[in-house]
Amino acid sequence: MKRALMMNEKDNVATALENLDEGTLTGVILPSQELLKEVTTLQAIPSGHKLAIIDIKKGDNVMKYGEIIGKASQNIELGDYVHVHNVTSNRMQMPEVWYREEE
Amino acid sequence: MKFYGYERPDGSVGIRNILLVMSVADCSEPVARMIANGTDGAVAITQHYGCIPGQMVANTLIGVGENPNVAAVLLVGMGCEGMPAHALGKMIKRSGKPVEWISIQDIGGTQNAVTKGKQILKGMSEKVVGLKRKEFDVGKLIVGVKCGGSDTSSGLAGNPAVGVLSDTLVDAGGAVIMMEPIEAVGAEEPLAARALNEEVKKKIYKMIGDEEKRWSVPGAQMEFMCKGNVEGGLTTIEEKSLGAIHKSGSRPIMGVLENSDRLLEKVPEGGGVYLQDGTHMEPMAMSFMAAAGAQMVIFVTGCGGTFGHAIVPFIKVTGNPETYRRMPQDMDINAGTIITGEESVDSVGHRIFEEVMKVASGKATLGETLGYDNFSVFRADPRLEALLNLSK
Repeated sequence: MKRALMMNEKDNVATALENLDEGTLTGVILPSQELLKEVTTLQAIPSGHKLAIIDIKKGDNVMKYGEIIGKASQNIELGDYVHVHNVTSNRMQMPEVWYREEE
Repeated sequence: MKFYGYERPDGSVGIRNILLVMSVADCSEPVARMIANGTDGAVAITQHYGCIPGQMVANTLIGVGENPNVAAVLLVGMGCEGMPAHALGKMIKRSGKPVEWISIQDIGGTQNAVTKGKQILKGMSEKVVGLKRKEFDVGKLIVGVKCGGSDTSSGLAGNPAVGVLSDTLVDAGGAVIMMEPIEAVGAEEPLAARALNEEVKKKIYKMIGDEEKRWSVPGAQMEFMCKGNVEGGLTTIEEKSLGAIHKSGSRPIMGVLENSDRLLEKVPEGGGVYLQDGTHMEPMAMSFMAAAGAQMVIFVTGCGGTFGHAIVPFIKVTGNPETYRRMPQDMDINAGTIITGEESVDSVGHRIFEEVMKVASGKATLGETLGYDNFSVFRADPRLEALLNLSK
């Protein structure tokens, strides 16, 4: 089974350890390698990116490492891809463009 | 635990024996390069803020000259600088190592300066080239930890493995410096929880708060994370920070080293973990850590990185197995085995510690073998510091 790593038991997201296609049954493991639960992905999730391991409501904190990494900017369902499209920082917002290419 | 290093007159221990040709401003850099060219162990450096660069740059250059990896220093100046070679030279000379300086204008131009410089360098080389390594306790090691080109593997594998190295080194009596002022935004609480006392706790919050102000000036769009971070799965600065601080391990934070126009504070005797104020930008951060006394830096990367430093060896660790597969000639340590489930964080951390001890005793890192000699210096803009009311 494909795996995703949950760093702390307070977390509501886990990090995909390999590329996950939409609809992949994924084992959520702790750093000790213990299998905690199984989640089916609702979208494709690239390796190193995050998926929700429980439902997260709009405005709720997103937790990783047992700490707050940001806030859900929309409702996120169990198995959803979690990234900049549905999470915002509580501290500093990402720049809109890094480099403006000439037309 | 022991390593073999070079004893310096001030009691510090170098892990390299470098002849440093320091051009005090970029206008005299070509002459410094001509002087260094062709002499074994010689490296030329400069800074790019002109000839009146301010005290922070002066502090850095003096600290770099004093670094124990540097055996002797020849300073090269044009002659008309606001920060003259002789002024920096006199400060570096307090360390007791051979230090000399020349002025290109006084000496009569390029040819004379190169001839005279090469002659001085030859004399210095004869004094220091025969120095033998001696055995020293690991307590004499100061190791900088830095990450860059991070992706999510950095927080899951690379940085936690380096955290094991940090704990091992500190438990053995050594010191660790971490310079990540912006990549601590959102990670204040776990850092503050490790502060030695209330004073250190306050300094941690202040250092991070000040850096957040510098990078969130209304009306100015600032890029504090790179595209590779986001493509690598990092969503917010908090996530990046919480991953980044792992590399400092779990031991108490003894202090926050001031790094300002007023003072560049060095790592005190006695070991332990220190945070250092400065910048997250890698080559410049390495110069600051070198100026504070670090003999070596461990660099954790997810995306990969091909650079080094003129005076401190640079051990590169990647937590991304794909990056290790693509760039094996640049990555000293593969921590991607944690992601693939082949190896534990502890096991990789101990592998890094073994590598640190070998590099301390003279083993060349991949970056050294490739000849990387990056050198750059950071200056906090005194106008921004004043406008944001951050001046120390």
